Amino acid sequence: MGEISRREFIKRGIAAGVAGGVALSGIKTAEAATGEPIGTLIDLTKCDGCKGQKVPACVTACRDENKDKFPEPIENIGDYWPQKKHEDWSDKRHLTNRLTPYNWTFVQNVKVQHNGKEVEVSIPRRCMHCDNPPCANLCPFSAQEKKPEGPVVIDPNICFGGAKCRSVCPWGIPARQAGVGLYLKVAPKFAGGGVMYKCDLCYDRISQGKLPACVEACPKGAIQFGPKKKMLKQAKEKAKAINGYIYGEKENGGTSTFYVSPVPFEKIHKHLMAQKAKQKNPKAPGFPGMPVGVGNFLDTPNGVAAGMLIAPVAGAFAAGYAAVKTMKGEKK
Amino acid sequence: MSSSNRKIKRHGFSVRFVHWTVAISTFLLIFSGFGQLPLYKRYMVDQLPLLGWTSNFGVTLMIHYIAAIALSFAVVYHIVFHVIRKEYDILPKRGDFKESVQIIMAMLGKGEEPENDKYLAEQRLAYAFIGVSLLLILVTGHIKVLKNLQTVTFPDSILGLATTLHNVATFMVLFGIIGHLAAFIFKENRALLPGIFTGEIDEEYAKKRHSKWYNRLNKQDRFNISG
Repeated sequence: MGEISRREFIKRGIAAGVAGGVALSGIKTAEAATGEPIGTLIDLTKCDGCKGQKVPACVTACRDENKDKFPEPIENIGDYWPQKKHEDWSDKRHLTNRLTPYNWTFVQNVKVQHNGKEVEVSIPRRCMHCDNPPCANLCPFSAQEKKPEGPVVIDPNICFGGAKCRSVCPWGIPARQAGVGLYLKVAPKFAGGGVMYKCDLCYDRISQGKLPACVEACPKGAIQFGPKKKMLKQAKEKAKAINGYIYGEKENGGTSTFYVSPVPFEKIHKHLMAQKAKQKNPKAPGFPGMPVGVGNFLDTPNGVAAGMLIAPVAGAFAAGYAAVKTMKGEKK
Repeated sequence: MSSSNRKIKRHGFSVRFVHWTVAISTFLLIFSGFGQLPLYKRYMVDQLPLLGWTSNFGVTLMIHYIAAIALSFAVVYHIVFHVIRKEYDILPKRGDFKESVQIIMAMLGKGEEPENDKYLAEQRLAYAFIGVSLLLILVTGHIKVLKNLQTVTFPDSILGLATTLHNVATFMVLFGIIGHLAAFIFKENRALLPGIFTGEIDEEYAKKRHSKWYNRLNKQDRFNISG
């Protein structure tokens, strides 16, 4: 007696974490500890990118929390044959101004003209934990999972590092490190590319009833954690109060992360793209934009999915007709 | 007209329709499926003329879905059609493994070939192998399609199993196809080829190599001989 399943344990842990988050963020609600899907609200009116600090507190906390999960690749990593390149960030572990396998969150800064004023906006970026994540759905090895509570988590022991998840993510979030993972045990020269890394919303922590590290570390309370419905409601209230804008509610078919901004996200996106274009290697991954209303990669395939379910029924009817017709012909 | 030029009907329209629908859709599924791994960017297939689209997951996924619709239709059509008509000639029989060895040895010039029915023993075995592989791939593929819908979720354990079996079944189908095509390395089997294109094969060949089937047809008077 007294034993509970792993899932139930995690569910209870997350419920406790949500309750903790609710208490810390000053939200009082009886619904918080029910184990329902969780989400985050990132209030861009509060975030200042930890001005004056070399590295924002959320970034430092994330790096510290996940340091044991960071990849330790082999020496002399081979190229992705027949190509003469491979993706290695292990000598750039210090980078905190983009997403890498060693940096799962970072803060972008833009200055945007809005209503005749220049507004400075700092935007913490990481995985949005989408409602119907194409990254997890389209992984050819099912190495990614959308947890019932909301976080999208990569299993580094299964991931082959093909980086398809990054290609189908509207923000190109997952970051690849070569020279680590399962592919090394199969045919490292010919197949696979390493392991993909990204934010898992501190799934281990929230399963133990703790807050995500970034939420706990933010000195401004700019990142809030709680029941998803509640977070969205708060985001809408805040947006209404400041005559602002929400990002993440509709993008990619819906996410668990809601940004509230005093300036339109179209302007933020434009500035981010301009920054990216000026980078040393503009094509390098890990510096996402904020395309407003971006669709889900699966929208079109899901539109024809009904055809796949109807096809067997249609096949049965057509066969029945053909069989009876030919049998009649043979009797004549 | 000499009897050596006479033809005998081996496959009706439905059989040929199913065979070619399965063949074409399976080719498209394998090609687009490997594109989902992903493979074509890595191996620079997308840099070959006219193949730039191969590394576009949106394009290869749509090809995969549409080809899967065709395959699902054809496989169910095949099962229902032959169950209604009570045609089970192609299902494996007891002793088919032993008989297959006998037939192959005979083709290599060792021993006598047994009397064959409509299908050779190794054809029946190959059918069963490819059939089971295709059913496995269809069931797991449908699970994978359903999980992509926003409203559908499966436990991670089922998804992991479906994904692994889908990948394993892909290689089973590939081996099956290679075996199927390898049968035509033997000259003795090549006379069957026209049957899957025109529906007809040489009567003399049927009489000689598929005597059980030929004699049964003879008794039932179900010849459809054209000159």
